[in-house]
Amino acid sequence: MRRMSVFPQHGTALGNLGRTANEIRQEAENSKNVLVSDLVNLSAGARFQAIRSLPMPFNERKTVRNRVNSVKLSKTILTADCRQQVSRSFRRFCASLASARQHLIIWQDTLKEIGSRFGTSVLSYFLFLKWLLQFNLFSLIINFCFITIPQIVHAPNISSTTGFRGLELLTGVGYFNQTVLFYGGYNGEVIVSKPAYNMQLAYFFTIAAYLVLCWVSLIYSMSRSFQKNFVLETGPVSGGAWRLLCSWDFSVVNEKAIQYNKNNLAIQLKESLSERLQEKNKMSLSDRIKHLSLHLLAWLLSLGLALGSCAGIYFLGTDPDLAFSFNHNPNDLRAEASTLLLPVVVSLINLIVPLLYSLISKIESYSNPRAKIYISIIRNVVLKMSVLGILCFYWLNFVPDNISCWETFVGQSVYRLLMIDFIFCLLGIFFGEFLRNVIGTMCIQSLGVPEFDIARNVLDLIYAQTLAWIGIYFSPLLPVMQVLKLFIIFYLKKISLSMNCQPPKHTGRAAQIQTVFIALLFFPSFVGVLSMVAYTVWSLKPSDQCGPFQGLDTPFQTIFHWTDSIQNFPESNWVWWIFENILRSELFYYLISLIVLVITYFLWQITQGRKQLIKTLREQIVNEGKDKAFLLNKLQNLQKERREIASYRPQDFDQTPHFNPNWTNTLPLNM
Amino acid sequence: MGGTSSKLSKDLLSEYQELTFLTKQEILMAHKIFSELQDKENGPYGARVSMEKVLTLPELKSNPFRKRICQVFSTSDLKDGSLSFEDFLDLLSAFSDSATLEIKSHYAFRIFDFDDDGTLDARDLEKLVNSLTGETDDTRLTGEEMKQLIGNILEESDIDKDGTVNLSEFQHVISRSPDFVSSFKIVL
Repeated sequence: MRRMSVFPQHGTALGNLGRTANEIRQEAENSKNVLVSDLVNLSAGARFQAIRSLPMPFNERKTVRNRVNSVKLSKTILTADCRQQVSRSFRRFCASLASARQHLIIWQDTLKEIGSRFGTSVLSYFLFLKWLLQFNLFSLIINFCFITIPQIVHAPNISSTTGFRGLELLTGVGYFNQTVLFYGGYNGEVIVSKPAYNMQLAYFFTIAAYLVLCWVSLIYSMSRSFQKNFVLETGPVSGGAWRLLCSWDFSVVNEKAIQYNKNNLAIQLKESLSERLQEKNKMSLSDRIKHLSLHLLAWLLSLGLALGSCAGIYFLGTDPDLAFSFNHNPNDLRAEASTLLLPVVVSLINLIVPLLYSLISKIESYSNPRAKIYISIIRNVVLKMSVLGILCFYWLNFVPDNISCWETFVGQSVYRLLMIDFIFCLLGIFFGEFLRNVIGTMCIQSLGVPEFDIARNVLDLIYAQTLAWIGIYFSPLLPVMQVLKLFIIFYLKKISLSMNCQPPKHTGRAAQIQTVFIALLFFPSFVGVLSMVAYTVWSLKPSDQCGPFQGLDTPFQTIFHWTDSIQNFPESNWVWWIFENILRSELFYYLISLIVLVITYFLWQITQGRKQLIKTLREQIVNEGKDKAFLLNKLQNLQKERREIASYRPQDFDQTPHFNPNWTNTLPLNM
Repeated sequence: MGGTSSKLSKDLLSEYQELTFLTKQEILMAHKIFSELQDKENGPYGARVSMEKVLTLPELKSNPFRKRICQVFSTSDLKDGSLSFEDFLDLLSAFSDSATLEIKSHYAFRIFDFDDDGTLDARDLEKLVNSLTGETDDTRLTGEEMKQLIGNILEESDIDKDGTVNLSEFQHVISRSPDFVSSFKIVL
């Protein structure tokens, strides 16, 4: 759609020098007519949006709209009237849907309050939390409806029940062992009802459908976010223009917060100015070598710490005395408590090692603060994902050989990890923020109020969500815990934020960091979960005594059995045909990969071409600017001459050039 | 309590919904707040609210650009920054969630253009920096720093090298910064 412009198509001040008031009014009238005729040709929806987007005061927009409507009215025929009615009522319906949706969005007021006090970058943490909550709620609903309810209705025979003791809430064993909370509580019988309900297929397909939907949703969010935020950056970007012109947060309303933001902005501007000056001084070679070696040392230390923690966890997990003592004596309370040892160690590692990382990063010096944030994020992600990776390795390689109902064991381990992580989060809020605030304001004044570290908090959320996703296959009702956890954490963090913390100092480029977080949620986190679940379903032998896949070689065999059974029905033969010849043949996947690669190559070439085009256009604009300056000069000289001649012979000139004081309104919008 | 709080007729409401980016709730809330401001004014209904009264709103009270915002959105002939209800709706619409990037950048440009000459020249930029960095001595930029900063900004944004930033160049800078849409927001 062509950009609407109510203003003259050409010229700024130049265009109006030497014109009479009448000429200017005529020009404005003409351009209004052009605007109205443009608007008339649009579809109704686009027309409404275009009229709303006109940068004019309300009354002028109303006049334009009335003129457009009168033109349309004179042009319509009767049959088109019904269509207009339908489209109008449809639009009203959409508007009322949108306003109804606003009522349903939870936490709307709370989020607005947080945004107004702390700004949009802190708000992004809470929005991320809300987004994760939606994933878990959805999983909970479909798991509950499709797997749990049929299982509850047709309950299997429970072999032995133990009484409920308090410790179960933490460890997930005992009473919970045979309930529908874990994999072991389900069995794979075909429920005999009017359409037979195959529990095996239901279990498999529900989890598969959920994972596929998550995949699609994550890719969609990631690509939209990437497109919005990592726009092509050509030309000089490191200056202060965006910081000055675009970064002021109008939604912050609290006076102290505004003052705080102003101080921050001043500091950042001064910092970037001094950085620019420093950049001009090149670093000597020895300095560069020193910096590089410090960086290398820091990386070696961080990776060493990560490897060390992984090794520690693995040895703790495979320690013969500790690991399965509970399974051998299920009634021993001490053995049950000892199952909590591994989760506590994991959480301690997740708490302490990032602090060590921030200490290590103090020895390094960075060229810009953004690099510092990204590198610290990368190190933390490497730590957390390697911890999770070693746990998965332990669960998938070591556990199935040693325990009978191993999926339930894995589900319980994940449950324990989530619970202890939650407890540590609560402790972290209490010690890390509340006590630190008390210390910072009363005892050691120099420390100051703690900053709300967005990166660390978001990475904690991603870690917990990865655990929850891993656990869904082994414990279908695990999202209940995650939903409750997220709810409680939202309110606690909000309270802690208001009481204890201050917003972070280095805000800049919040939108880009958001994209990085969504990408992190997709790439190591979700892809890892997907590969783990795929490996479990494809290659591991499910346990013989419990679970819906008892007796099969791998859980994936249910699909084979199902397609074999379908083969006998002529009307569903096509499903079998697709499965056998397309999904199971390797040629199909080779072809798809080849096509995707070719398309990617074409798109990359188009991008390169566009970059070149942008460069050429920039040069063109610079040249136009020079032309404009030249013409302006010439015009001013001409006018000076004209004025001098007019002062000698005033009777030859009956109109003086009229300078329109409202020429600010004549700026072209569609340059 | 003085003055009857008159309700908006359905026709007016749907017209406001059609011509602005606000939803029905937002328009009703705006009407309520505006009527309260008018009550305090003790003038006839439908009259304009003076700039001082508008600036008592909590959303605008501490905003560094509060006066410029009122002046930009005001359609009064006296150029005194007073707002009618439609001006107020225009203000909220431009600062709302669903407003387009073009509208926001257009009004942001006019707000930053302190001398209303249609371009951001060095003086406008200087006033902008001063209103954004605070008034105390240690946060103010020195003359040298100010010159350097303005030089950097012009080097980066002034594409046609005429020494000022016009609307298109401003919109180009804005388009490379995706945070702008979410930070140029005022919600009642």
